[in-house]
Amino acid sequence: MTSQDRPFEGGDRMGPPKPDRDLQALSAFIDDELHGDERDAVAEHIASDPASEATVAAYRAQDNALRALFADQSEPQVVRLRPRARERYLIAACFLVVGVACGFLMHMLLPAIGESPRFAERADIAYAVYAPEQRHAVEVAASQQDHLVTWLSKRLNRAVTIPSLAEYGFQLVGGRLLPDEEGPAAQFMYQNAAGERLTLYMTTATIRRNDSKIRTLKDGQRTTFYWAWDRVGYALSGQIGQEKLQAIAYDTCKELGGDPKNW
Amino acid sequence: MSFESDLLALLPQLRRYARALTGDRAWADDLVQDATERALNRAKSFHQGTNLRAWLFTIMRNLYIDQLRGRRDIAVDDETAPWRQMAAPRGEVDGLVLRDVQRALYCLPVEQREVMLLVCVEEMSYQEASVVLNVPTGTVMSRLSRAREHMRVLLGEEPGRKTSPSSLKVVSRS
Repeated sequence: MTSQDRPFEGGDRMGPPKPDRDLQALSAFIDDELHGDERDAVAEHIASDPASEATVAAYRAQDNALRALFADQSEPQVVRLRPRARERYLIAACFLVVGVACGFLMHMLLPAIGESPRFAERADIAYAVYAPEQRHAVEVAASQQDHLVTWLSKRLNRAVTIPSLAEYGFQLVGGRLLPDEEGPAAQFMYQNAAGERLTLYMTTATIRRNDSKIRTLKDGQRTTFYWAWDRVGYALSGQIGQEKLQAIAYDTCKELGGDPKNW
Repeated sequence: MSFESDLLALLPQLRRYARALTGDRAWADDLVQDATERALNRAKSFHQGTNLRAWLFTIMRNLYIDQLRGRRDIAVDDETAPWRQMAAPRGEVDGLVLRDVQRALYCLPVEQREVMLLVCVEEMSYQEASVVLNVPTGTVMSRLSRAREHMRVLLGEEPGRKTSPSSLKVVSRS
């Protein structure tokens, strides 16, 4: 019990000090907590004792003042219902799962949305490296086309088809095996009468979905059109002008089984 | 009437008590929020047919006592005391200047303030207040009696006299 909690014995200003019990009775009287004889006795006492009457009046005044102080509480109370702790963990876990799923999906979709897939970049670089090569442009020449197809089909673990670009004036020079990011890739080189070269790059290693929509990668003078079909990534690179190359890319894609509706 | 709608009907009263007890609107709103949430989450522990108001007030009172321990440093006379941020009441009731009553209320120790607010403002019976405060009814009666006498000393006047006592200067605030 603190000193403040101790009863206050009147003082000079309050008149003679009253015993605790009397004050409690007066207090209980105005709160309507007394019953029967006790109540009547206190009522009688108050009526005959001016000091007690003054005390009762003072207490009633306090009550009325306090009620007046806190009377105006009219605005509505807003209570937000938050989930319970266990539900919060559950919701957090759900968000985590959704977040991870979204991240995974984004990872799958990003190459299509943003930057080019790595195989297109590798195809472009392979073109830049081997197209200027005069003596060692290919490993296996077109004269051994059957061997070339068998060899690269085996290495790519796919039946490889080498499309003909003769109608555009490009003849097959030959092909070579190249390393892609996670496995082998094949590069076929074509050349026209003017000595201009194209390469068709194929890889199966990093292709996990079809996207036969043809996209473009430009790097300086070089242009690469690439697409993926039936788990093979294709990239046609050249420096013969974008429009001309695009026409060849579309036909090649179609010839290799791509769906023209996606272009 | 469902438990929820009964509970909602008590919210204005609960908030009035929270504001009067803390003298701080933001603190009071947080208390009501926390108490209501806790009550709804613990609906199963409420025994149908018993006093919902006392049960709800008990939950909030326990929260308040917990939070008070962390805020012991708030001095009543401090210019930054929360109750000073409340709108200064104007006028008199039964010869008492409301501003003096407000100040006196927050000078009371919390044990006296809470019993006074429960019985005088919320008009609870001693029995109901004893449930909320978790003390016997006899303690409610004696504590309330002391609170009223304490208040009377703090107000320093018999009803009807208007002079401010030396122990309680009128705070000059606009």
